[in-house]
Amino acid sequence: MKVLATYNIKGGVGKTATAVNLAHVAAAHGNRVLVWDLDPQGAATFYFRVKPKVKGGGKAIVRGSLELGDAIKATDFDNLDLVPADFSYRHLDLWLDDAKKPLVRIRSALRQVSEEYDYVFLDCPPSISLTSESVFRAADALLVPTIPTTLSLRTYEQLDRFVEENPDMVRELKILGFFSMVDRHKRLHRRFMNDLRTAHPELLEATIPNSTDIERMGVHREPVGAYGKGSKPARAYEALWSEIQTRL
Amino acid sequence: MSKVRRYEVTAAGDFASVLVVLTDHLGLRLLNLDEGQRSWLDTPTGTLEQAKTTLEFRLPSGEGTPSLTWAAEGRVLVYDPCVSSTPPVQSSDLPDSAAFARLTALVDGGQLVAGPTVNSQIAVLACLDDEEKTTARIIFDRSETLDGVTLPMMLEVLPLRGYEDEASELEKKLKRSVALSASATPIRELAKQGASAGRAAGIENDGTALVSTMSAARSWRAVLQTLNDSMVQSFSGVLSGNDPEDLHAFRVAVRRIRTILQDGDDVIDPESRDRFRHEYRWLGDVTTPTRDADVHLIEFPELVAMLPPERREELVSFNAVLLRHRADCHAAMAVELRSMRRAEFGTAWLSFLADDDAWTGCGDLADEPVLRIVLRRIEKANRQLVKNGRKISKKSPAIALHELRKEGKRLRYLLECFAPLFDEKALATILRPLRDVQDVLGEFQDTEVQANALLELAGELASADDHSAPMALSGVIEQLGVRGADARASFAKTFGSFDDRKVQRAFDQLEPRKKKR
Repeated sequence: MKVLATYNIKGGVGKTATAVNLAHVAAAHGNRVLVWDLDPQGAATFYFRVKPKVKGGGKAIVRGSLELGDAIKATDFDNLDLVPADFSYRHLDLWLDDAKKPLVRIRSALRQVSEEYDYVFLDCPPSISLTSESVFRAADALLVPTIPTTLSLRTYEQLDRFVEENPDMVRELKILGFFSMVDRHKRLHRRFMNDLRTAHPELLEATIPNSTDIERMGVHREPVGAYGKGSKPARAYEALWSEIQTRL
Repeated sequence: MSKVRRYEVTAAGDFASVLVVLTDHLGLRLLNLDEGQRSWLDTPTGTLEQAKTTLEFRLPSGEGTPSLTWAAEGRVLVYDPCVSSTPPVQSSDLPDSAAFARLTALVDGGQLVAGPTVNSQIAVLACLDDEEKTTARIIFDRSETLDGVTLPMMLEVLPLRGYEDEASELEKKLKRSVALSASATPIRELAKQGASAGRAAGIENDGTALVSTMSAARSWRAVLQTLNDSMVQSFSGVLSGNDPEDLHAFRVAVRRIRTILQDGDDVIDPESRDRFRHEYRWLGDVTTPTRDADVHLIEFPELVAMLPPERREELVSFNAVLLRHRADCHAAMAVELRSMRRAEFGTAWLSFLADDDAWTGCGDLADEPVLRIVLRRIEKANRQLVKNGRKISKKSPAIALHELRKEGKRLRYLLECFAPLFDEKALATILRPLRDVQDVLGEFQDTEVQANALLELAGELASADDHSAPMALSGVIEQLGVRGADARASFAKTFGSFDDRKVQRAFDQLEPRKKKR
């Protein structure tokens, strides 16, 4: 089982869209996939039409009194399940802080379902906190959507530095950054992409376009590939998934 | 992990009408409606079945592309909606994708063989919650094997993980709206049983022609296989209920099977014989009310025509009563014919006909030449008919005539089912007057049954304000009484023609004469 976390310190960069769409692509390829929504906004939960209610609460999962398997809900898509989030996840940092060995809590919970899934996507809230550190311990790779703008570049480099400075915490963690919400009509986007690729050649080649098709996920409440099969963004997520697999 | 819950749909009605209940009454969303051929594939050693998975190849009959689905307990593991139009025969034929890699590894380079194949109508439906999120999938299936064996309509409820409570609620609603009986057998397994039994019965039946030197057991088996074929042919028509002739043909086949079983002592395995006689009696009984209702409807216009023209209009409303009664009878019959009892008995019956061991050493007379045995049984049946027929007088109760009719049927069926063994001229000499006797007895019974049934149904008209209809109906019942009395009056003469010396002598001439060299 590979654990992939969609993560960025900055919000609004397309983390949830990445988690939901890549999970959908991976499942459509016959992989057994779980999405764990760790964000109290519950956007991934909303996209899959699952009610934002966790029996026993996320707290019980973190503390180990509720098996992760008991919180899993199947989505409408074959081989694609979800652990929903509710608003109580805003206290995730506090729960972890109260728990013994907080950094391994998420990893321990995932170990319970390691035989059932090929891939787990963790949809993380935007911040750098105890939750993030716990996710870093659990994940095999961080998928970092990055908008080609100054602030995004800054946060990407913050993360890069954090990983470099905390080798014990992140261990074998791979950082897979890629450009998200790209508008190729904007000269600024093109320039930032060139500059960033020069500075960070490890960035993935595949890019996700800025598209109303992706924004319509909130209307359809399903992944892009479900209502816009063959569309530009759907093809972009396919390409991204296939590149990620070569890097894992 | 969620488990599939299986039900046999025992509700009256065809696929379309049950589907309407599921969508319109229960509000389930129809995701897909498919018609086509389905085959289940596995390795020769059953690797996929051992792994509790199924590999299904589906070939749609209309538009659409062939598909391949690998599933475990209703959960789709891999699905390819567009594959080659021939099923894969080895693991290297499986789609070349990461998705199928696990299946390819499981098959491990081995061959894939097609198991049971059925023609199906399948509807996939979703039960949605108030967020329009699927909580359970429902697969509704109507299939028949390539041999023409109709399998029970099946309904599978697949609760989605985390929605088990919602699925239980749905099941309660389903049970309230559609007649269901729990079933542990997946459609693939039913198809396997149905196909093997149907095929075996078909193969045996193809080449077996009756000859006098054949063993009794082999001949009895061949006759039963032929009768089974005609019963199976009319079965779907019986369920649809569009043509009363289908039910008539079905009932004739059932009655003949009962006669051949009845006269199969010391030829057929006694335990099987008892079991199937009992089941065929039940099968005959469950179809009787519908057949009677058919007869009412068929004959009613003729009876009405016998009334004075000014009274005929008064019975228009009664025709609606008859139609409603017929629909009720048919619905009740369809429930029985789709029941698990019928399915299990049907499968056991086909297996019995196909099983060589069941017909080896099965009775003291099983290996005797058939002609000697069957002539002995015919002689006995004739003796009984003549003896009881001679006892019938003007004062005999109706039941005595009904019993005599049954004895006549037994004799007639024995003669007709084993007809290829007999001298044609002698057979024709016997059958002509025997059929006349049957017609007279049949007319007597039909008029009596009809008169009683019409009297009972007339109660539905009694509450209406218009009293003209019951009056007119009593005229019809009177006509039936006249016809019955005529039939009874003609019995003595008709029976006399059968009990004639020339006809009775023909029984001794049934054995074909050996040709002189």
